[in-house]
Amino acid sequence: MGGETTFNRFLATVDRDGALEEAGAELELAFSRRRLLGLTAAGAGAVLLARAGVGRAAAAPSATDISILNYALVLEYLQASFYTEAERSGALSGKTAQAAQVVGATERAHVKAFLKLLGSKAVKRPSFDFQGVTEEQRAFLRTAVAFEDLAVAAYKGQAPKLRSDAVLAAAVGIHSVEARHAAWMRQLFGITPAVHAFDQPASRGQINQIVASTHFVVAHPNMKGTAKPQYTG
Amino acid sequence: MIVAAGAGAVSASPLFRRLLSGGSAEAASKAEDARILQLVLQLEYTQVAFYQQALRDAGLGGELREFARTALGHERKHLAVITQALGAKAGPKPTFAFGARTRSPDAFRKTAIELEDIAVAGYNGQATNLTKGTLAAAAEIVSVEARHAAWVRALGGAVAAPDPVDEPMTAAQVVAGLQKIGLRTS
Repeated sequence: MGGETTFNRFLATVDRDGALEEAGAELELAFSRRRLLGLTAAGAGAVLLARAGVGRAAAAPSATDISILNYALVLEYLQASFYTEAERSGALSGKTAQAAQVVGATERAHVKAFLKLLGSKAVKRPSFDFQGVTEEQRAFLRTAVAFEDLAVAAYKGQAPKLRSDAVLAAAVGIHSVEARHAAWMRQLFGITPAVHAFDQPASRGQINQIVASTHFVVAHPNMKGTAKPQYTG
Repeated sequence: MIVAAGAGAVSASPLFRRLLSGGSAEAASKAEDARILQLVLQLEYTQVAFYQQALRDAGLGGELREFARTALGHERKHLAVITQALGAKAGPKPTFAFGARTRSPDAFRKTAIELEDIAVAGYNGQATNLTKGTLAAAAEIVSVEARHAAWVRALGGAVAAPDPVDEPMTAAQVVAGLQKIGLRTS
């Protein structure tokens, strides 16, 4: 299972350079639009990076950690794009719109932090096609619940595999934030925010299979000029 | 490093002395795991006692009551696995004085947010000190504490996940936080 999913193919085939720059510019743009609770995206990124030892002459992450960080980066790309597109669609209202704004800003901050941490080793942002789920509130919430629960299980599965204490400290601080998001989206969707006493981890294979089954990730990003526009709102 | 040196605010019970002794920059080990489990035991004891008493005395209704009942059920299970993991080394059940914190829905909600945030920060703060096996087990608990924290925040109409990353706490900070809420020692 899992080995040759869309996600893995994507991870294996991307061309790195250029996309980094593009993603960075897009994030800057997204963030220059607003401040969030007095905390700018740059500030959030700085906190993460400080925690991960970046800027303090930390040793370069090991190959294992780079692989895990890139895997986390793709999940963060997925979430960040999803919330950004939902916000732009204008389909969300009330508490859900507020939550999407807050959570979206956080996911974009996570992306930004991972890009800084990985530098030239970062994988490129895939193209996403969310197939209309960002254009209707209930569909948005259902998908948000799935993404956040998935992210919690994914970080939990990888945390014990990380080699660097600095990277681990940053990862656990993100892991619990994803759990807060999951509970929040569940509460807004009207289902129990905390079902079990123990949250179970998921392996990369399991996560890849679930993500592939959504067909949200376009297998060969940016290959054709005729691709569907990413934002339809 | 599980504690800052010379944690002045911490009371001098034998349990806490044992908990807070030594432990600067120790590598993860079974012994270190056991010391950290004593810390999270205090956390889980406090949470169980807090939710129990609030369900009795705070006049909780509606979804806030449902939250308290659900959280209590989870914390009891956490307490059970930690007690089991420690075996004979598990410290005695502490005593508590929550005062007004368990006497009204509003005070309950505010304290529950504080307590769940301490739990998240406490577990996160120990992540790099744990052996990988114990870390995996702790990770199954910490995200449930984070879910509780977000849930009870949402019930008050607050932003349920205000920060992009959760800041860790040291063991000394956790103990001081629990004592502020109502943890007393026998």
